[in-house]
Amino acid sequence: MSAHDWYVENRAAFVARSLDPDEERTYRDHLLHCAECSAEVKRLEADLAWLPMGVAPVAPPPGLARRLASAILDRPAGWRRYLPYGLAAALLVAVGFGARDRAEGVRLRSLLADTETRMMALEDTLSVLRSAQHVQQIPISMEGKHGGLLIFRDSGSHRWCVILHGLPPAPAGNVYQFWFITETGMVRSVEVNGDTSRPAFLTLGMPPVPAPVMGAALTVEPAVSTSSEPQGPQLAHVTF
Amino acid sequence: MARDEQALVELIEVASPWLLGITQSMLSDADEAEEVVLDVFASVWDRAGSLGDEHDTLMPWLLRITRNRAIDRLRRRARWKRKIARAEAFGEVPVGRPESAEFNEAAQPGWHVHEAVHAALDGLPPDQREAVRLAYFRGLTHSEIAAELSIPMGTVKTRLRLAFDKLRVSLGPIKDWVL
Repeated sequence: MSAHDWYVENRAAFVARSLDPDEERTYRDHLLHCAECSAEVKRLEADLAWLPMGVAPVAPPPGLARRLASAILDRPAGWRRYLPYGLAAALLVAVGFGARDRAEGVRLRSLLADTETRMMALEDTLSVLRSAQHVQQIPISMEGKHGGLLIFRDSGSHRWCVILHGLPPAPAGNVYQFWFITETGMVRSVEVNGDTSRPAFLTLGMPPVPAPVMGAALTVEPAVSTSSEPQGPQLAHVTF
Repeated sequence: MARDEQALVELIEVASPWLLGITQSMLSDADEAEEVVLDVFASVWDRAGSLGDEHDTLMPWLLRITRNRAIDRLRRRARWKRKIARAEAFGEVPVGRPESAEFNEAAQPGWHVHEAVHAALDGLPPDQREAVRLAYFRGLTHSEIAAELSIPMGTVKTRLRLAFDKLRVSLGPIKDWVL
């Protein structure tokens, strides 16, 4: 079973929010870089959209609607109170300018949603960096470049922040592959195959295996490989 | 959705029985349940200008964020055993048929959706239905369900996976319904 199989098997559990909190954070991280799981989770959410209505309706206390409406409308003035008017005005302007601007409104909303997602990811990464009790640097030299792997381990949340920096682009058709080393063998984690001119930040939960994690490794693997064992050259190997 | 105060009141009247059903089943606390529902409607009001294209899917969105916020509260408590004790004192909020004599549930907008969802839940084997009740309607995690039912966590995961596969099929025909 590959690490990705765990994500596939737990899609419904993620949507139902029945994963334990650490697992849920790990899953959310995964969605940031897995288009397949991301799309499937959205489809699942749509399919189960009405499931919450399996509950019996509860008779609201008398006057609840007026009371809630008053509580909402009477909130103290502040930027949050007036922000909706700005949004509404922006939407009206967009409608006034026709379909092209309407599409622009949709694009901006999508951009805002993406930004919120990125913000959550950044907060998550920062929390691991700030809470880490152990930091380890593993130098890596490749093709005349000197970079490395920096691992921040937070034993409280069982999460790591891994920074890969200073490496040349992976050879054509290959990716950098990060592995966990456990008592029972290597467990495939994330791959890095993007712009290596800037450090890559990876926030990772522990793999869903019963054996404790003892270390980490970085290898170069064929981009199409799904092998559960490293096949390519090993750039870093560290045990704790 | 228009930023109209009367529209807000009407939306609360239509949606609050269902949202209170969700929050009370999870939080087992009527006051806290109402706080979550208030918070959800405040979000709707604050985002009214940006919900223009989503009115057809407003109710599913409300259901989802209500459930998520109730679960967030539940997790923040980090005291689920206490919740169980409170649930016993409060009385279980049933997943299924309401029992109030004065409240005409069948007259609630959305009752037809409730009937369809209830039929889908009834179609599950009892052990899977119980797992869904605890996970989806009580907001318990895998490990909490395993502890509550005294069964291995792997069994919980299997029951839930099978149940959601079936629910996905049985609820598929109603996913585009509107209230």
